[in-house]
This record gives sequence, C-alpha cells and structure tokens, in this order.
Amino acid sequence: MSDDMPDFANVKGGSSSTATKVYVVVAGDSLSKIAKREYGNAKEWNRIFEANRDILKDPDKIYPGQKLKIPPK
Amino acid sequence: METRILYTLLVSTALVFAACGKKDEPKASPAPAPAPSAAPAPAPASAGIAVSSVTAGSAIGADKKVTIATDTFAPTDTMYVSVDTSGTGTAKLDAKWTYRKGNDVAVVKEDSMTFATTGPATHEFHVSKPDGWPAGDYEVEVTLDGRSAGSKKLTVK
Repeated sequence: MSDDMPDFANVKGGSSSTATKVYVVVAGDSLSKIAKREYGNAKEWNRIFEANRDILKDPDKIYPGQKLKIPPK
Repeated sequence: METRILYTLLVSTALVFAACGKKDEPKASPAPAPAPSAAPAPAPASAGIAVSSVTAGSAIGADKKVTIATDTFAPTDTMYVSVDTSGTGTAKLDAKWTYRKGNDVAVVKEDSMTFATTGPATHEFHVSKPDGWPAGDYEVEVTLDGRSAGSKKLTVK
C-alpha cells in the first residue's frame, strides 16, 4: 500500500439488527461493557441480563465463550 | 276451580312435552390432549438463512432499512449498508469497508454480527469518520457465514 493512502484509524463503525444478535463473551467482558458497545449505554446491561436469565443467574458472572442474546435496540 | 285445574293440567302437559323434546346438551368435547412435548429442536442450520438484498444509503429507519438510498456520499456522511435476510436460524454477517486509490486498497473498517432469527430480518452496518471521509472510491462487501452475499461500490465527493 502506498504511503499516501488516507488514515482510517479513527473510523467508527457499528451494527444493529431487527433480529436478536448473539454475542460471544470474551475475557474481560461485563454486561455493562457489552451494553455500552451494543446500545451505547452501559446502564442498559439489565436488558441483556433479562434476555439471558435462562443461562445467567448472576449478572456479575459471565464467562468467555458464553453466547448471549442481545435484544434489538 | 275447574279452570284452574285445566290450566294446571295444560301447563304440566306442556312441561312434560318440552322436557321430552329437549335435545341433549351437546357434550363438551373432551379437552384435547396436550400436545406432546416437542422433541428438542435440532440446532438451527445457518444454511437456512439467505441474503435477499443489500442496500447502501446515508440514513436508516428504526426498521434498519435504508431511508435515503445512495451510493454517493458527502465527507461528513455516515455510510450505511442494510442487509435483508430470509429464513430462520443463526448466522454471521460480516461487512468489510474498503477504500481504493489506483491499484491500492485500504481496509477502512470490518465489522461482524452473529444473529438468531425466526423469520425475515433486517440488519445494518455503518461507518463514520469524525474528520470526514477522503474523496474517492469505496466499497462495502457483505458476507454471510463467510460467503459473499453482495457488495456496493460507493463514492465520496
């Protein structure tokens, strides 16, 4: 790639869906972090917790590899 | 007195006939047996999901569909690509945004989402650049489970 190519390092991106997104937990994640990333608001972590009550008993305990349903915005 | 007796007889007779002519109440159908428990559904196959359309634009609605369809953008625009899918199951969509200058290609942004759906759904990816897009030629390629599902050539002027 030539040196005069523009710098796209600051490009912001995102996605959303009318379907239920599925998020795979990675190390260091918390429901607040996921809510911030998916909804832009960490305080909406409870939406994710409620949608995953079948597999989550404690909102503070999520594990890498868990597949969480992310309700549409 | 005779009239009263006659009246009583008539009423009694009428009641007897009414009772005889009364049809049996239809018996309530036995409650249907509860449906047998469904066998555990097999894991939905992502092969059941297909991309039906890919649309680029500068705005989307709450339904994730493009409301301003265009392939030409201003430097301050957010670029959107809306993807309609049909079918049910779980699948992974990827969007790769690239910039082309001559023979050189730079990756602008890559995003992916995994989703589960029980019917038609619409998904969107978007990119923005706080200091404005350089003018030139861009492209967004959408893949579904690693297979190309469509692409759009975009221009920033």
